[in-house]
Amino acid sequence: MIGEISHFLSLSAVVIFSLILIFNFFFFFGKIHPNQLSLSIRLFNQACWLVFISFAMYVYLAINDDFSIAYIASHSNSQLPIFYKISSIWSAHEGSMFLWIVFLTAWSIFFINSLDDSHSLKKTTLLMVSLIILGFLLFLLLTSNPFERLLPFGAIEGADINPVLQDPALAIHPPMLYLGYVGFVISFSYITAYLFHGNFELEWEKDIKNWSLVAWIFLTIGITLGSWWAYYELGWGGYWFWDPVENVALMPWLAATAFMHSLYASSKSSVLKTWTMFLGILIFALSLFGAFIVRSGIIDSVHSFANDPQRGLYLLIFSGLITLLALGVFAYRIPSLNASKFVVSGSKESFLSMNNILMVTSIFSIFLGVTYPLIIEAINGEKVSIGPPYYNTIFTPLILITAIFIMASVDSLWQRSKPLKSYVYKTFFPVILSILFTYFVWHITETFSILSYIGIFSGLLILFTYLLRVLNNFFYKKFINKGSAIAHIGLGLLFLAVSLNSILSYEKNLYLAPGESIFVNESIKEFSFDDIKVLKASNHDVISVEVSLLQDGKNIILNPQKRKYATRGQITTESSIYASILKDTYLTIGDQLENGSWTFALKINYFIKWIWFSASLMVMGMLITIFKKKAT
Amino acid sequence: MLQARKNRLWKFFIILFMSAGGILLILFSLNSKLDLFYTPSEMLKADIKPGYRIKLGGMVKSGSIIRDGTKIKFIATDFETEVPVIFDGIPPDLFKEDSGVVVLGYFLDGMFEAEEIFAKHDENYMPPELSIEAAEI
Repeated sequence: MIGEISHFLSLSAVVIFSLILIFNFFFFFGKIHPNQLSLSIRLFNQACWLVFISFAMYVYLAINDDFSIAYIASHSNSQLPIFYKISSIWSAHEGSMFLWIVFLTAWSIFFINSLDDSHSLKKTTLLMVSLIILGFLLFLLLTSNPFERLLPFGAIEGADINPVLQDPALAIHPPMLYLGYVGFVISFSYITAYLFHGNFELEWEKDIKNWSLVAWIFLTIGITLGSWWAYYELGWGGYWFWDPVENVALMPWLAATAFMHSLYASSKSSVLKTWTMFLGILIFALSLFGAFIVRSGIIDSVHSFANDPQRGLYLLIFSGLITLLALGVFAYRIPSLNASKFVVSGSKESFLSMNNILMVTSIFSIFLGVTYPLIIEAINGEKVSIGPPYYNTIFTPLILITAIFIMASVDSLWQRSKPLKSYVYKTFFPVILSILFTYFVWHITETFSILSYIGIFSGLLILFTYLLRVLNNFFYKKFINKGSAIAHIGLGLLFLAVSLNSILSYEKNLYLAPGESIFVNESIKEFSFDDIKVLKASNHDVISVEVSLLQDGKNIILNPQKRKYATRGQITTESSIYASILKDTYLTIGDQLENGSWTFALKINYFIKWIWFSASLMVMGMLITIFKKKAT
Repeated sequence: MLQARKNRLWKFFIILFMSAGGILLILFSLNSKLDLFYTPSEMLKADIKPGYRIKLGGMVKSGSIIRDGTKIKFIATDFETEVPVIFDGIPPDLFKEDSGVVVLGYFLDGMFEAEEIFAKHDENYMPPELSIEAAEI
């Protein structure tokens, strides 16, 4: 019964959103009715609440194991802890789409109600978000209905959540990511409304700035959590695979990062306005593109949901129309927008434009990497795939250029350029120090890979530039923008950690029998297979292994596991990680050989924790920026 | 005025030069970093140069997995052609007999040397080409 009510509420929301759009459409041409806006807002709020209540009821159904609902029956189980019963909702397509819509609605209702009723863009923005929510609600109900019942008889027991998804990081990763993705619906709708009205006196940046910064934070946390989860749970030992689905999350992130940089130039000196608007539209368009890639099954990826051409077609058409609408209005207004002044080279704006160009180049290269296999297949039927080497070659030069421009731009001024001499003075120390340190790394590691060394040099360049500024601030009380400094130190650290990780990390495949012990290398003098146990847990059997390592003079105990889950018969590998500051010792077990010994994969991952640490620095920098703005 | 024009011309050339460089880099990179995907029959028909990295997708033939230390040998098949594959390392959990597999590596003297075996989250995964062909059989 509750299932039907929940379904009915979603349907009512569809009706109300349609009413809002139809109602406003008819008034559009006639004279404006005095109550038109207040009525629209009231209807809009009600429709949003219907979506929330409908979702809350759905959560209730999942917690209470209503296995007569087909989706819950195939993704949850009565034995699961409540936490995972809830997270099972977003473990597959239908439920995660529902969550996506709930977040879309939540961002929209907060934003719309934060605008004054007298705000000239309120109505158009409201209509724009209503249209988007309506489109996705229809998509949910028509092509991927999570409320569908198993008739006439429900299932007695659920089929269980996929065991690799039964993990805290993965329970939080999709909500964070979605909050980030859909948060940019605000900039998208608002900028479209702004362009539509054509009143360019209005200062639009401040209305959406903090909203976009918060969405950026969610997106960053979401991507980082996903990367971390893949590292420890999947047992592959990597943090980023340039998988198409990771790429479609990275594209909106890059666009959002460019957008926020550009937003500063736009609001501070009214140049670069066109760019900023374009980026604001682009972020959400890329999020929609991502939804299409993941949910249509058009690209073969570990993340993709079941292949369904009908869903793909709907998403493609709907996202295409929405994006075309926004870009169409944008193109129509470009001539009147372009009146702004030229950018003085060497000024802060000029560096921010450079940043835009670099970011858009990165987005374009990723986009090409994702779509190229589709293009090739459409042209000559060949199946190709594009892996990490492509992205590494493309990104390394971009990273170097980025680092150089960041270094040059830190002290730049708005609308003015500085004398060349000041650049030489400013960049002298970072460049020398970076060269010395890069040489030092080469000297210690004695390995050479041109791409990684460019990465190390670029990372160091950014780090030293900012560290010198921090020192200047500390001793001479020179001004420093704290949020920006922390975020950029995070970026430098990220480049450095990724590059060092790629040259230093190594992997050993071993096999030995219980009780045996072997020499691995100079760092790991002893690898002993101490014990193997078979245990029983609530919903799975465990083969648990105890291995002790004598690493760098220290004794380490590792307990990797293999699990077999009862309901799905699925086998998962649980890695065991010993983390120190510089490196992770990462161990997984493989299979038993005929002679009774077991295979092991031992990975030594250098600086891998630093990658996530640097991402959290970026988030921290952004938080400081937001709160500082609130304080002033 | 002349100075301003000169400056603009300079900027124009710098931008032109940089975009040309970027596009060249991307194209170069795309061409050399592509992994072509083949089924066993297609791979034998195509004349693959040694040292050319490709992706091979097929089913793991039942009873064909042989383990020797950390090395694994198995036969990838599309029910017409069989290709022996050798891999050193630990395959993903979903690697098993009678199940789809995608390997990345080099084809040398009738033997496919895999650098990587791909994990699929879905236990019912089958390479798309094969599922079409299997349906036709």
